[in-house]
Amino acid sequence: MVRSLLLLFALVFFVFGCTKKSDYPENTLQYAMRGNVSGMDPAFRGDEFINEVIANIFDTLLQYNYLHRPLKLEPLLAAAMPEVSKDGLTHTIRLLPGAKFQDSDVFPGGKGREITAQDYIYSWRRLADPKTKSEGWWVFDGKIKGFNEWRDKLVKGEATYETPIEGLQTPDAHTIVIKLTKPYYQLHYVLTMQFTAAVAKEAVDKYGPEFLNHPIATGPYMLESWTRGSKIVLKRNPNWHGGTYPTEGDPGDKEAGLLADAGKPLPFIDTLVFYEMPEDQPRWLNFMKGNTDYSGIPKDNFDAAMSSRTEVKPELKAKGIHAIIYPYPDIVYIGFNMEDPVLGKNKALREALCYSFNEEGLIKKFYNDRAVVLHSPIPPEFEGYDEKWELPCKHENIEKAKELLKKAGYPEGKGLPVLEYTFSQSSTGRQMAEYTQQQFAKIGVQLSLAGNSWPQFQDRLHAKKAQMFGAAWGADYPDSENMLQLLYGPNESPGSNNSNFKNKEYDAAYVAASKLPPGPERTKLYVKMREIFAQELPWIPNASRLGYYISHAWVDNFKPHKMVYGHQKYMKINIEKKKEWKAKL
Amino acid sequence: MLRFLARRLLYSIPIFFGVTLITFILFNVAGGDPAARAAGRYATVEQIQVMRAELGVDKPLINQYFDMLRQIFSGDFGRSWSSKQEISRLMVDGIGPSLTVTGPGFILSLLITIPFSLLIAHKRKTFLDKATVIACLALTSVSSVVYVLAGQYFLAYRWSMFPISGWDPSWDGRWQYAMLPIIIIVALSLGSYILFFRTVFLDEMFQDYVRTARSKGLSTPVILLKHVLRNALVPIITLVVLQIPFLITGSLLIESFYGIPGLGDLIFKSIQEADFPVIKAMTIVSAILYMIFQLISDLLYAVVDPKIRLG
Repeated sequence: MVRSLLLLFALVFFVFGCTKKSDYPENTLQYAMRGNVSGMDPAFRGDEFINEVIANIFDTLLQYNYLHRPLKLEPLLAAAMPEVSKDGLTHTIRLLPGAKFQDSDVFPGGKGREITAQDYIYSWRRLADPKTKSEGWWVFDGKIKGFNEWRDKLVKGEATYETPIEGLQTPDAHTIVIKLTKPYYQLHYVLTMQFTAAVAKEAVDKYGPEFLNHPIATGPYMLESWTRGSKIVLKRNPNWHGGTYPTEGDPGDKEAGLLADAGKPLPFIDTLVFYEMPEDQPRWLNFMKGNTDYSGIPKDNFDAAMSSRTEVKPELKAKGIHAIIYPYPDIVYIGFNMEDPVLGKNKALREALCYSFNEEGLIKKFYNDRAVVLHSPIPPEFEGYDEKWELPCKHENIEKAKELLKKAGYPEGKGLPVLEYTFSQSSTGRQMAEYTQQQFAKIGVQLSLAGNSWPQFQDRLHAKKAQMFGAAWGADYPDSENMLQLLYGPNESPGSNNSNFKNKEYDAAYVAASKLPPGPERTKLYVKMREIFAQELPWIPNASRLGYYISHAWVDNFKPHKMVYGHQKYMKINIEKKKEWKAKL
Repeated sequence: MLRFLARRLLYSIPIFFGVTLITFILFNVAGGDPAARAAGRYATVEQIQVMRAELGVDKPLINQYFDMLRQIFSGDFGRSWSSKQEISRLMVDGIGPSLTVTGPGFILSLLITIPFSLLIAHKRKTFLDKATVIACLALTSVSSVVYVLAGQYFLAYRWSMFPISGWDPSWDGRWQYAMLPIIIIVALSLGSYILFFRTVFLDEMFQDYVRTARSKGLSTPVILLKHVLRNALVPIITLVVLQIPFLITGSLLIESFYGIPGLGDLIFKSIQEADFPVIKAMTIVSAILYMIFQLISDLLYAVVDPKIRLG
């Protein structure tokens, strides 16, 4: 036994002897994500973790201005904003001349070649090709002349990647002309999404299905190493076409030091390290130790970190740590299946349930107050949102709820069958379901809870089998259309309208709005849809979340937004400050 | 011996098909439609149909079952639904990190607990024995999550003895990250292993052959190490050999919290993401490993104990 113990201690000391200091240069930004990156093919899947990383590798044609809020578009790999024809159906995009792919052995001589308009057309065809199994085809589906027809023919083997598409033309190597089937004013937003980034055909040909592990692109960074499930290291791409820090921002940005580097060439950081850390404790402890430069605030650490909604605790402040609150446009709601014979035909019942629900309790309990009450499908800061407009039933009123229940034909819940609430199974999902159960029980409505795995949950929604369900939707782009389409009749299940809400007036307003550019006329239609929503109540809207980051004193130029990926190229590490503050942690 | 081996291998065939069939029913029949998820959140009926064909889930169930058997025999389990990575590669990549942590953890646990258990079995009813039993019961009654979280918080964060989490694939670099998880594994197994081995040794201590050895005047170390230990090897082998498949598949909780990209972490994430092809592949591989090592443990019984006649 003594020998065994000696062996153990020998091993411990050997290992301590092996402990290394940081492997990365000083000018490195380190961030721990609360999820895993599954692959780096931009066509593949648009989740926040993939986007967080690949937005630094793949440049899109357009991007959101880093400092302006509400979000404002600007060119990235496009030379200028797209030229749009008067009827809104033709969009001409000119590419930045001279922009090159990173050096790679997929190119002749190992030198990155210039990116051309054909690269975009190839990449978008790839997005459409069912063999790619992309989750992003919806961005072009039915919107570009001849594109869906080409896709159908490709499936049947009657077309190839060389077959021309009427709506996608390249008059020269630096010009893309997109011809639409109908006005699509969200197109420019879509061109900021990673789905539409260009990939190099040479790389896809060489790596085939393994391309998702070999991203080769034009962005400010390129992949150096990926220890799957652990960390991703990106290094500066010397071939990057360049870019400069914005020279203008919002009021208050200058005072916050966000314009100190105005006009300077990007990026400021040499190496980016993204850790894949789904567990809260290691993510939080690594931040507190200074191993990562900024972090989200895990739910269970919120009270330990924040003294109010906006201020960090004094002990954290003393360490130079501060909080950044940013827009996180999403909506959380309870959807009713409007085809359900009990709920769908009884507005008084839906209203009674809405009046019985205390969403402030939900926000406090599940989001640590990091959310605002939602009154309609339109979240704050989106077109058609009005902070003074309130959905009457969003103020809990048990008496009124009971009255409505009686009006619905179920006094004190008598005669009402047990309703079923379908949700995606997780510990928080179940707790929220139980919370909902308690809320409805206050007026005598009984709820049975049906937890499902995510695929089963989707199956039930797609098959219209969920009577009511807990759901959330994160905005893909800053346009209320992205939320309002969730109630557009033709999108009924298995489409995104899982409430199967059908209202002629609503649908007409939706179609009319889709033909209009942003402006007061369109806003009027969004408001009309909001009013119809309030009359019919196909959902109980609950909350729209706020995003929180916590950052060390040595991180400069940090102004995040949920929909702005690739912000690392603007960020900066103050190395001297880091040495000074890290010693205090 | 050869007859025994042949018979055991023949027994394994129905077990193998039973395992694959149950796994198939669980995932392909009761597991829901994967196509809707794979097609994305804006998918139309037509896109879901195309995806169903791509994934092969529109085929008759019997064909899907044969597809699964073909995957097992070729070692090609296809690609993950969620990450689209090659499953066999994910598994091969995960074995090294898992074994780096579980292997030394397990060996160290055995090196500590077997001699110590032998000692306390010998010192039965003394203060040392009683105190150890109480301590072991206390150790086993604490949830493993507490060890994982407390180890990380105190040893890594508060006292800076180890990195909080992470992994370095290089041979040199990995040990700094593996050390704390190894210590946690040892701490987790101390209580249960000591109680188990103590019981095994106590069973042997009162056998006639021990009394005979004592009456022959053999020294205590010789009796303990040469006779008791040897005769107690059958249950020890059962524990050790049948533990090996679980060493390979890693520790879900430890890998997840300490950022070890092993097979335990892979299983954990696959379950979270309902990535059925990966869970299915891991279930089948675990079952096959378990069958193989059960066979090995049966063969080893005959080696250590001539009384066991195979055949």
